[in-house]
Amino acid sequence: MSRGNGTNCLDDQVTGMALSVLAEVGRMLETLADSGREDAIDLRSLPLTDADRAELEQMLGRGEVRAELDLAGESEVWETNYPGAWWIRHRGAERKIASEEIAVCRIPEILKTHPVDIETAALRIRNELETTHE
Amino acid sequence: MNDKKTLGEMLTERGVSRRTFLKYASYTASIMALPPTAATAIAQGIANARRQSVIWLSFQECTGCTESITRAHTPSIEDLIFDFISLDYHHTLQNASGHAAEEARMQAMQENAGEYIVVVDGSVPLKDDGIYSTIAGITNLQMLEETVKDAFAVISVGSCATFGGIPGANPNPTGAVPITDIVTDKPVINISGCPPIPEAMTGTISYLLSFGSIPELDHLNRPKAFFGEAIHDRCYRRPFYERGMFAKSFDDEGARQGWCLFEVGCKGPVTYNACATLKWNGGTSFPIQSGHGCLGCSEPGFWDLGGFYKPLSTAKGDPLKWAGGAAVAGAAVGAASAIMARNKRNKILKEGK
Amino acid sequence: MELLEFARGPALTFAITVFIAGVVFRIVSLFLLWRTKDSSAGSSRERSAFSAAIREIIRRLWPQSAYKQRTLFMLINGYVFHFGLAIIVFFLLPHIVFFKDLVGLSWPSLPNNVIYAISIITIVSLIAALVMRLSNPAQRIISTFDDWFSWLVTFLPVITGVIATSHLGARYETLLGLHILSVALLLIYLPFGKLMHWFLVFVTRSQTGAHLSHRGAQL
Repeated sequence: MSRGNGTNCLDDQVTGMALSVLAEVGRMLETLADSGREDAIDLRSLPLTDADRAELEQMLGRGEVRAELDLAGESEVWETNYPGAWWIRHRGAERKIASEEIAVCRIPEILKTHPVDIETAALRIRNELETTHE
Repeated sequence: MNDKKTLGEMLTERGVSRRTFLKYASYTASIMALPPTAATAIAQGIANARRQSVIWLSFQECTGCTESITRAHTPSIEDLIFDFISLDYHHTLQNASGHAAEEARMQAMQENAGEYIVVVDGSVPLKDDGIYSTIAGITNLQMLEETVKDAFAVISVGSCATFGGIPGANPNPTGAVPITDIVTDKPVINISGCPPIPEAMTGTISYLLSFGSIPELDHLNRPKAFFGEAIHDRCYRRPFYERGMFAKSFDDEGARQGWCLFEVGCKGPVTYNACATLKWNGGTSFPIQSGHGCLGCSEPGFWDLGGFYKPLSTAKGDPLKWAGGAAVAGAAVGAASAIMARNKRNKILKEGK
Repeated sequence: MELLEFARGPALTFAITVFIAGVVFRIVSLFLLWRTKDSSAGSSRERSAFSAAIREIIRRLWPQSAYKQRTLFMLINGYVFHFGLAIIVFFLLPHIVFFKDLVGLSWPSLPNNVIYAISIITIVSLIAALVMRLSNPAQRIISTFDDWFSWLVTFLPVITGVIATSHLGARYETLLGLHILSVALLLIYLPFGKLMHWFLVFVTRSQTGAHLSHRGAQL
């Protein structure tokens, strides 16, 4: 890792990690195309500096899809400029990032509606109709 | 208590979607250093689990561990854990007091026999039949043995419960011991630290909930996900250590430049914890980032390691305490042996005449 | 952690105590021994004892041409590990911090990777010294326990130090504990074997120089 001399904050140093992550995303996309196998990278587990993270975000860019989720705090999901690679950012208390990952898949699990929630939704509509029209 | 319902059913009724479970699972997978793809399984595991009964026992402690786990202010993903567990007994947090509180504990033990988790903070005094700390008329030892008997697992939180902590520090007037000295027939998970990182406590409980098993532990019974690496190995100031750039005091140029704190006593190289990666207060900072060396608070006997500001590579105590005596003794024996040699020589010379 | 605590505490205190007592004992007993008075008239070429001593010390820093071929490698190798050891002991920051805590003196350190490189060179050099001792039949025959053990107690602190720094095999606190224990062993043995040359090397050379000069050796 190349790090500047005698600087106070190592967080603003670019280490070249972003490029490695980009290469890894490329390999995962190939696997997804070939075999349909989905995968993900936990960005928090990697020794990325803030500058690395910003660089990676810039490298991957923003694609066609962007979603904002409101579940126990905010979450953002967007497809990067490379279709099939999604950036998922979950925020926790005080809008701090609680977890952050790059998912390589056709659509992230978190965007799909769970069967249980669909059932519950149907039930709610039925209840709604029963109470308002009887 | 809706004991028969799963957490999934219970929270769906309250309008919590499965997406929220999944978000919580992603967060748990991340802090437990599990692959992100494990999130779906974790979410499913938690949704299928029953609300976990937790009995929290506080012995010789300062409530700092509780402060740590209840730290979050705004409703958020980190708080979901309090929906997943039923905190049936906890001195500081429960409404009931006196006999009602003790009854709550008994009831939780009966209803969830073999399934409840006992969380302990604080050490247990054994000296003089344990009279130095009693609750509801019984000693801590009695309460622990009674409560642990039908538990599924025990989680010791904080350095007092895990290693004796302050009460156990030299000269340990109350004969304080860690929980592992008493509970030997049940799995005990140690989450050390003074206090422990909140995510280490909640993450471990979430793991138990979703997988129904104990996470991988190190030789001190601590989850490897949090205690697998030394602070020093993940410290952002490590490059300065390698380059030989050190703060010599807390107000010199090195300190201002954020150089390595080894010389002012940092115990990072021998301290295993996740402070350098998870950090504190929701990822804001950790002691070294704030300019103070690591105290080694998650390691056994950290109070007695020879001083928070004494560098790790120095001798403990005063290695020169017998130096003067040693020099005098050495000189005396040396002189004696030389005199004896001289006498012997003189004798031989005389006899030779 | 218990091992490290034991090493930093009681083990080191004991070792330093034995070391000081032993070194003082050796020096005092040596200097208080009788010296046979040499009443002979000195050679006309005799120098002052001081000057002869200094010249002898300098002369012995390099082999005489007659022996150069045979001993040059051994000599250079000897210099390599002696300087290597001195640099490691006195210029690695954790060591300086140790001395500062002990006696209050402090000086600048060298970066870890420099010390690391020097340690590797020193280890190779020490192994070479052992191999030479083993492979030369004459040298092997005259070697005593003191020779082998002195090598071992010198080698152990270096190798354990390098292993500890590179986190090989075990946890850092265990390795650091072993490193300090190996130093304790060195300190305890040092006064009682040939390693006492730490203190006596120039004393003995001075004595030889003065003696030879009295006899008229042209050195």
